[in-house]
Amino acid sequence: MHAASTHLAWLVLLPPLGAAAGITLLALNRPAVSARLSIGAILAAFGVSLVLFTQGVEGRTAWTWLSIDDGRGTFVAELGLRLDHLSCLMLLVVTGVGSVIHIYSLGYMRGDRSVGRYFAGLSLFSFSMLGIVLADNFLMLFICWELVGVSSYLLIGFWFERPAAADASKKAFLTNRLGDFGFLLGIILLWAAFGTLDFAELEQRIGAGTTPWLPSLVGLLIFCGAVGKSAQFPLHVWLPDAMEGPTPVSALIHAATMVAAGVYMLCRVFFVFAAPGSAAPDVIAWVGGGTALLAALIAVQQNDIKRILAYSTLSQLGYMVLAVGLAGMAAGAHPVPAMYHLTTHACFKALLFLGAGSVICALRHEQDIWRMGGLARRMPITFWTFLAATLALCGIPPFSGFFSKDAILALAWERQPVLLGLAVAVAFLTSFYMFRLVWVAFLGPAKSQAPDHARESPAVMTLPLLVLTVPSVVAGFWGIDSYLIEHFRPGEGLSAPGWLGQLTAPFHHAPVAAFSGLIAALLGIVFAWRLYSHRVQDPLPGLLDAAARPLRDKFYFDEFYGRLIAWTQDTLARGADAVDRWVIGGALVKGASGSIELCGRLLRLVQTGSLQTYAFLFVLGAVVAIVLMLGW
Amino acid sequence: MDSLTFIIFCPLIGAVLIALIPRSFEVLFRGITLGATGLSLAGALWIFSEFELGTARIQYEELVPWVYSLGINYHLGVDGLNVGLLLMGALVAFAATCVSSEIRERQKEFYLLLLLMTGGILGAFASLDLFFFYFFHELALVPTFIMIGVWGRGANRREAAFTITLYLSLGALIALVGLVALYLETGAHTFDVVAMTRHVAAHPVSESAQNIIFPLLMIGFGILVSLWPFHTWAPLGYGAAPTATAMLHAGVIKKFGLYGLLRIAVPLLPEGAQRWVGLLAVLCLGNLVYCGLVAMRQKNFGLLIANSSVAHMGFAFLGIASLSLIGVTGAVVVMIAHGLLAALTFGLGGYLHQRLGTLEMAQMGGLLRRLPFVGGVLIMAMLAGCGLPGFANFPGEILVLFGAFIRHPVIVSLAAWAGLIIGAVYALRAVRVMLHGELPQRRHDTPDAANAWRKLPYALLLAALVVFGCFPRLLTDRIVASAQQAIASVQGSSVAEIQHADDRLFGGSEPTKASIGQRGAFYAGQEGIAAGRSRRQSGCSIRLTGNAAHE
Repeated sequence: MHAASTHLAWLVLLPPLGAAAGITLLALNRPAVSARLSIGAILAAFGVSLVLFTQGVEGRTAWTWLSIDDGRGTFVAELGLRLDHLSCLMLLVVTGVGSVIHIYSLGYMRGDRSVGRYFAGLSLFSFSMLGIVLADNFLMLFICWELVGVSSYLLIGFWFERPAAADASKKAFLTNRLGDFGFLLGIILLWAAFGTLDFAELEQRIGAGTTPWLPSLVGLLIFCGAVGKSAQFPLHVWLPDAMEGPTPVSALIHAATMVAAGVYMLCRVFFVFAAPGSAAPDVIAWVGGGTALLAALIAVQQNDIKRILAYSTLSQLGYMVLAVGLAGMAAGAHPVPAMYHLTTHACFKALLFLGAGSVICALRHEQDIWRMGGLARRMPITFWTFLAATLALCGIPPFSGFFSKDAILALAWERQPVLLGLAVAVAFLTSFYMFRLVWVAFLGPAKSQAPDHARESPAVMTLPLLVLTVPSVVAGFWGIDSYLIEHFRPGEGLSAPGWLGQLTAPFHHAPVAAFSGLIAALLGIVFAWRLYSHRVQDPLPGLLDAAARPLRDKFYFDEFYGRLIAWTQDTLARGADAVDRWVIGGALVKGASGSIELCGRLLRLVQTGSLQTYAFLFVLGAVVAIVLMLGW
Repeated sequence: MDSLTFIIFCPLIGAVLIALIPRSFEVLFRGITLGATGLSLAGALWIFSEFELGTARIQYEELVPWVYSLGINYHLGVDGLNVGLLLMGALVAFAATCVSSEIRERQKEFYLLLLLMTGGILGAFASLDLFFFYFFHELALVPTFIMIGVWGRGANRREAAFTITLYLSLGALIALVGLVALYLETGAHTFDVVAMTRHVAAHPVSESAQNIIFPLLMIGFGILVSLWPFHTWAPLGYGAAPTATAMLHAGVIKKFGLYGLLRIAVPLLPEGAQRWVGLLAVLCLGNLVYCGLVAMRQKNFGLLIANSSVAHMGFAFLGIASLSLIGVTGAVVVMIAHGLLAALTFGLGGYLHQRLGTLEMAQMGGLLRRLPFVGGVLIMAMLAGCGLPGFANFPGEILVLFGAFIRHPVIVSLAAWAGLIIGAVYALRAVRVMLHGELPQRRHDTPDAANAWRKLPYALLLAALVVFGCFPRLLTDRIVASAQQAIASVQGSSVAEIQHADDRLFGGSEPTKASIGQRGAFYAGQEGIAAGRSRRQSGCSIRLTGNAAHE
């Protein structure tokens, strides 16, 4: 509204950057100072975001980062910030969940010798993530995209002395780079075709009509970026390994925000996919649905508490991507369900991870659920908040996840019944593996000595859990969807009914989707209860026999990719190296030097260090050249 | 004394001073070198900050006629193409002097040669006369050979010195043939580049001559810049060179060939450039992809960074091969960024070699715990090398990729693959193997850079990378006008070519085509283009860009 207030957006972005730079330069070895700087920065960003949100500020502000103007056309790369409903909501999610997790880190990381490095990484991440949220053009988006990638790399590898963590960080970065390769090509192609990278202008120019194949190609290339960042099939392999990082990092980066950046980007540039005739939405929908199912299946047979949650994150991201694809299938649709689920998921999934972190801390870094058990009585706050988040994830009304998931199911019901079936199956699997986790770790009998000494975590860790529980439970009544619809269709935001109306609306609106999702979720809980309530060992491998093995071994993707890389890239590299050593470096150069023995002998004079010889040689060369020239 | 002469002659006078001081005053040599390169750096910084933006005019010009009969002048000056290179060169020279405390024997000769190298290369960048351009470069090149032979590392340093001498002399000779031919063909009877450019604008060199001279310069200069497949001297030479030499050569001297292409070959031989850049673009893929793959296989960190430095030169070649304003500007940014980065990585490699006695990566591991500063800087350098935003390489590479896309779409795609993926693979592998993981027992006493003085060279180079990475306009605003001038003569015919490429790429419905016509305008912008063409472009521009409204 006011030009001055859009500049406030810089105040969201700059404190985390300042904190990251300040800690790196001055406070790397001062844990208390670095924690204060980092937490202060994210709280400041949260405060400003709240102001922006409540004031309903819209508009853009920009700083020209790079600009090349030859008088007729301009290549402009701006760091432009765009404030609208989409970015304001996402700002709140990132800074809100971020603040909670920053504070939680204070408890979780206490006593680590590199706390300064940890908080520097966290602040760098916050800065770049907020940059993605605010970006109003593709180049700035790409810059921040790369920066979140690197902060994720630094934080996954935070305990770099552990080989698993070091390998996981490298894998995460490289896998993301594969997606970014397509993303960058898509961006370059867009620029080459439309002459701008600004979202608003691109939207107009694409809307004005293009060659038919261009939106499909560009859409798929840009989707590659989301596939990498949001860990969709076939690039999903990095996310489970990324759990080697500290748990608050997993909660913030690899559950709530960064991995959702892919989905956010798809919603932000939805106009690229919505272009008529584009083949991209179908691909997006099927990739998302496939990832959701694949990850849910794998999660059923995982035993590490963080990995179960990681596969669940993959699966839920699959839902969001599916929703974007479904929305793009018909003209004039909007991807609100995807953003809605992103928002609620950020809250309850962060809560789940922080709860897992609380358990891991209490059990002195035990992560195997089959060595836990009976934690509900020993850690009541952790248990009840974890349970609330689990119910939200499973989509049980009136928890927030029910509403957002139902929006996706309803959309699938409208567009593609097969995908609805798939989504319902995933809903069943989700509540099955989540309640398997709850029963085995929290409710069932203790399976080892580890839980005997478990005690509830300190307040600095439990308070964040309680804070996050609030949105996980009630966010379904806040009218997030109508707020978002205002962004895509100004004026169409439904006037929100009362809370009872909100609760029953899904069953009126698309009863088939709502009931099938709910029944599937309840069935999953019942199955989990029957199978796991009193077990000390997993009965499923016995029941499923050989079918359980590929689930446990994650369908052998890592092995397959290892082979693939060994066959292709490594072979190429080995070939290039051999050629370099033996053909170009060896045979040709050595052969040449051997055959001109005389030249060699002359040049050996080099080692005398005589400058005169050199001067002479070059003058000689010049003379030869001139003689050649004259003859020619 | 004028400022450019001051920058060049500080190191040269320092060299004379060192030559005059008896060997027994060993403490003085390092001090004199630091002082001389420091003064050069201060001068270059001053010129860089006082440089007037938005003009292609030659600034800080000095012109002293020397040999009238041949038209050789002592002609110095800076414009956008070389002002950044001068600053980068002076900075690298200062940093190289700082890290040279590892040299313990024959210090007098070492520092003397280092100063000769510095003076030579700064002179080559500042010269606007072909004779001095070439002379100063040779002055910088000869000490390289000697330093590798005398102070180099490893058993095969003599072989390395021999190969690099053979190779670079060959390259310099081919370039010389090209330059002499150019002198004869222009018929302007001057070695003065500015005068030649002015003369050629009115009397272009015949097309057949251009088609022969351009490849001579391209290959000759290309060999000096380790253009694939003439690159094998580089890893060998840098692997064996003492730290300071590798920093100065890989960082600064190697840019001479690229600078020569931009300053001389492209503006004076536009038709030749048009005809041959296709080949140049293909060869640059050899650097980017092939040398990147080779770097992936290296087990020695020295060879890894040497190959990586060769690989990255591909971006500069690709930028030049784009013959577009954006691409050429990007190429100059890449040259500066690459110089800083190569100097930084070779400097860090030298530090590790000095402390560990080896650069075999299998002998390292977990060093980050012992070396928080050096290790941290090394991680940042490796990330900068794989094109991370925030470091100067990123804006350069992104400009090159954008600028070259329409002319070479397939090559740009492969280059992006090389930059984003191959580059990341070997960079992260080096970090994983050397810095991450467990620290071997025998490395427990490896010392980090102890004090601010030791940290200074690395901190300076890294800071420059970050400053130019975060504020690329510091460079591009200086470069653009001169880059425009350098490719001005190419552009007339370029527009047609770009239009053709556009049609090939998008040849579809009318709206797209129209929007692309505006891309062509990016490559045009000169007044001298055909009227019909310019009418079409301005029509498109008005329709599609707000900022074209002033037309």
